Amino acid sequence: MERIIELKNINFSYGNFKAIDNVNIKIGNGIYGLLGPNGAGKTTLMKVILGFLKPSSGNGEILGFNIRENNITMKKKIGYVPEIDCLIPEMDGVALTSYLGELSGMSKQEAIKRAHEVLYYVGLEESRYRKVDTYSSGMKQRIKLATALVHDPELLFLDEPTSGMDPQARNEMLELINDISSKGAMNVIMSSHILPDIESTCKNVLIMNKGKIISEQQISDLNSKHFNIYEIRLKGDVKIFREKLPDCRIERGDKGVFRIQLPNDFPIYSIFKKAVEANVQIRYFRQSKVTLEDAFVTAIGEANAN
Amino acid sequence: MPIREKGYYKWDGEFKKSYIKWLPIFINGIKSVFKKKKSKLLFSFAAFPFFVFLIAVYVSTKPELRMMKDLVKQIQSDAMLFYSFYTFGPLIFFMILLSLFAGADLISGDLKFNSFTLYLSRPLTRFDYIKGKFSIVLFYLLLFSLIPGILLIIAKIIFSGEFSVPLYVFLSALIFPIIISLFLSSFILMVSSLSSNRKFVIILFFALYVLSNSIAGIFQGVFKSDYFLFFSIEKNIKQFGSLVFNIKPDFDAPTWISAIILSFITFFFITILIVRIKRAED
Repeated sequence: MERIIELKNINFSYGNFKAIDNVNIKIGNGIYGLLGPNGAGKTTLMKVILGFLKPSSGNGEILGFNIRENNITMKKKIGYVPEIDCLIPEMDGVALTSYLGELSGMSKQEAIKRAHEVLYYVGLEESRYRKVDTYSSGMKQRIKLATALVHDPELLFLDEPTSGMDPQARNEMLELINDISSKGAMNVIMSSHILPDIESTCKNVLIMNKGKIISEQQISDLNSKHFNIYEIRLKGDVKIFREKLPDCRIERGDKGVFRIQLPNDFPIYSIFKKAVEANVQIRYFRQSKVTLEDAFVTAIGEANAN
Repeated sequence: MPIREKGYYKWDGEFKKSYIKWLPIFINGIKSVFKKKKSKLLFSFAAFPFFVFLIAVYVSTKPELRMMKDLVKQIQSDAMLFYSFYTFGPLIFFMILLSLFAGADLISGDLKFNSFTLYLSRPLTRFDYIKGKFSIVLFYLLLFSLIPGILLIIAKIIFSGEFSVPLYVFLSALIFPIIISLFLSSFILMVSSLSSNRKFVIILFFALYVLSNSIAGIFQGVFKSDYFLFFSIEKNIKQFGSLVFNIKPDFDAPTWISAIILSFITFFFITILIVRIKRAED
């Protein structure tokens, strides 16, 4: 597998606050999710990788370019969709997209031609001559994607690409991301705090918390991992039962079914013991399918415990 | 807005092998300033000093218009002609207006709309960005100072029928507007980098300019010393003009000090500009 990103001992601080704490990652081809709670350091890590911020220590390579020495050349091969709104309002869609293509090193003619193509691709063909400040928030996300694709990068960074979108627009954006990555046309790193977005688009996920990468796994491996998660239905006073299991994550699901995540060292039979102590009946019990949220919560919980 | 059936497809073109990275910023900036409301009106007024001096050059070169010579006696020498043109009050005023018109929102607009991210995600350095922005203001300032200056030289040659402009005056006429335009460009871009509010930028720039002239005027009046001219942007420009064109200065103070002051302020403004942009990047 070709190595796209390799970071070694990357650190970055805003004043005294350590935003990136000794990050080491190796990322190959494909689409990766970067998951983490707000303030975990996802955007900062992206900015360091993109060369916007210089790491205080550590080094790395992106697409074979050293992030300290070649970060300008590297940007010809990188596309970036930032989370924040960052457009030039007096420009229309074609002008903005082709302008950024030219800034990437494309000739004017090529940039204009390609701008039309990518605007058509992201579904803005009818609005391409409208000024971008008249776009809806969903359209603004699309134009940001178009500007990131105009120079046909090898690696695309998406920072919260579905933020501020309605459900339909969100699904369409996720479809676009799937389409871009599925044909192997581009490697994608997608940062999000929306777990279903990552689950539906990414093959691999990196979980960040407090500036550290705390877990790295393939989405397809989630079910093979033992997470001690069960679905149970109870009859009786659920509140007392909950109190008997203070260290467990218990979520109420549909139709009175609870999802209960036990600590790793917690034997299964203890659930039944606690049910007896709480004077409740267990009417239904089965091992639950593991979701990305489970992996995420477990990773965060373990990181906080350490 | 469904995804197109053919899906994503790759670009089969090639990047330019060598190019001026900031050139698209320059070209786009020129166009967007030109498209602004009332740009043509301002440009028409800004060309007014040139036409005044064009007439003066014509009168000074035609013996048959001797009765009008009194009107143009101040520009009898070539050095005086170009010094008078470049330090002509209305021209300096229009250069201030052009700086505001072309430069006030160049960086403040990018601050307001977070556009730095767009530039920085491209293969551009911070200095490419600054060069691109600088070139836009410089273009418009030189268009109404250096270009009319060159046209005046050409007009003088045509009207008099000979190339009578001494070399040092010729070079001075080229260098002086470039230095003044660099100073004004750094001034407006520095102020523009201080705030995302365009109105604040305009007020601050204008206030600093007017205030500097007012303070100098008040102190000169109160203390009866020409040395207070160094507080004034406009008077420093005039003193510097005297130095460049080798003309007796209007004020009794060393002209080289104005050269140092203008150079220092330009350097100071550029430093602040770089610091502000670096901070905005973070």
